[in-house]
Amino acid sequence: MQPIPKTSTALSSLLRADLVTQWRNRRSFILLLLVPVIILISWKGIVEKFGGPFALSSCITIGLVAIGLMGYSNSVARDRDKGIFQRLRVAPMPGWCIMVSRLLIQLIMIVLLTTIIFIAGNNIDHITLSPLGYIISFLTAIVGGAVYLGLGQLIVGLIQNPETVNSTSRLTYFLFIMVGMFGELGVLGDQMKEIVLWSPYGTVKRIIAAGMQPGTWNSEMTMALFVTIGYAALFSIVGIKRFKWNNK
Amino acid sequence: MDTNNHILQVQGLNIYYGNFQAVRDVSFDVLPGEIFGLLGPNGAGKTSTLSAIEGLLKPQSGSIIVAGNDIHKKPLHAKAAIGVQLQATSFQPELTVIEILQLYAGIYGVARGREKLFYILKNIRLDEAAGKKFGQLSGGQQQRLSLAIAVLHEPRLVLLDEPTSGLDPQSRRQLWERMESMREKGHSVLLTTHSMEEAEAVCDRIAIIDHGRLIAIDVPQSLVDSNKTNPEVIAASRRGKITLEDVFIGLTGKAIRS
Repeated sequence: MQPIPKTSTALSSLLRADLVTQWRNRRSFILLLLVPVIILISWKGIVEKFGGPFALSSCITIGLVAIGLMGYSNSVARDRDKGIFQRLRVAPMPGWCIMVSRLLIQLIMIVLLTTIIFIAGNNIDHITLSPLGYIISFLTAIVGGAVYLGLGQLIVGLIQNPETVNSTSRLTYFLFIMVGMFGELGVLGDQMKEIVLWSPYGTVKRIIAAGMQPGTWNSEMTMALFVTIGYAALFSIVGIKRFKWNNK
Repeated sequence: MDTNNHILQVQGLNIYYGNFQAVRDVSFDVLPGEIFGLLGPNGAGKTSTLSAIEGLLKPQSGSIIVAGNDIHKKPLHAKAAIGVQLQATSFQPELTVIEILQLYAGIYGVARGREKLFYILKNIRLDEAAGKKFGQLSGGQQQRLSLAIAVLHEPRLVLLDEPTSGLDPQSRRQLWERMESMREKGHSVLLTTHSMEEAEAVCDRIAIIDHGRLIAIDVPQSLVDSNKTNPEVIAASRRGKITLEDVFIGLTGKAIRS
């Protein structure tokens, strides 16, 4: 019987290649990071009115939306269109290795984003958190990132054409940010504010903000956490079930 | 014939896309050290058959055994015995030639020392292009790299989907020589093509597939000899002497396929 290569070796090779690919596309990642940092800088008034955790959690959430919708979905759609996944799938390794490698890279991006926002928040607005606050914030950012990665997976699961994926991702990103930010501030009315609070934007933002101040965590935040996990699971499951490895 | 010797056994393959049946009850075998050609017009079912063998799509019925392993019951063992060059092979455009080689060497469990990889690149005359990205290579260079990766792990069966499509005559001839060299080393090759010239030049046996069905399997000369008196083949003949192309057109018809 033909010996099969170790899955760990295959996964580490894939991870290395995906890291190199991400590094060589660092310009687009830097652009994704710039938006939340610029918002943080321009929101000095908001920090004074609503507090550091509000501003930081909003910026991190905006960054997570960008990573999931613009970064992940577009790169998956592009690689699928080029036939890169098909070539990997004929190799003697489990299919999940391909996506796990991609997701691990996104996890690194999420941690980098959160770190940069914390550093920017500290340098620009002198926002500091307790050590426990930093730890829980990273964890909640990862859970929140899973929602938007799931949403990105849903988009590439439902849409085959890479140009359509690109335009849908950009539109969804824009809608999430605009409706999320203004809705949460009450600009779009009280009803919309309530809807936004329990939307994927609102629940992610709230758990990240509450994570920054662990003392304020209450039953409503626990409910928000469960809803966030529910969103991540729903988007991911539907996205994975509907996903096709090639466009034909 | 002892079927345990076959490197590939396809039995009763049926593939549907929705209600459309792309492959109908296809059965054939490939022997060790054989170059087997699957010939057919556009839309005949060649690529669908190959995709099923590669494990990329699940047939509605039928079995596919590669080196004694069922592609659906033991996919990893079967895939370990297969080397593949897809029709539209692409690699990550950001990766260089050497990085792509390192990636697939890792995936296929082949030793990845830089020296060994450069030796492979030197053999396919891509050593000077090691630092170039895949997208910067010419069509011929991309094909050479794709083929080198397909045989990196010394597979028992190499699957080539229209490998000379779009190549200039020199590159095509070189590829044929590489296929013959693979055969000499004991690899089996299954290639799809609609080039009669290619089928006659390299294939030990060919199968003609049309509308999803296998309509003939034999060595090229025997196919010609056994169809010399076929009225449809004679009608397709242009110069009196029956060629493989005449047999192909006689059996599949003159209508242009999309």
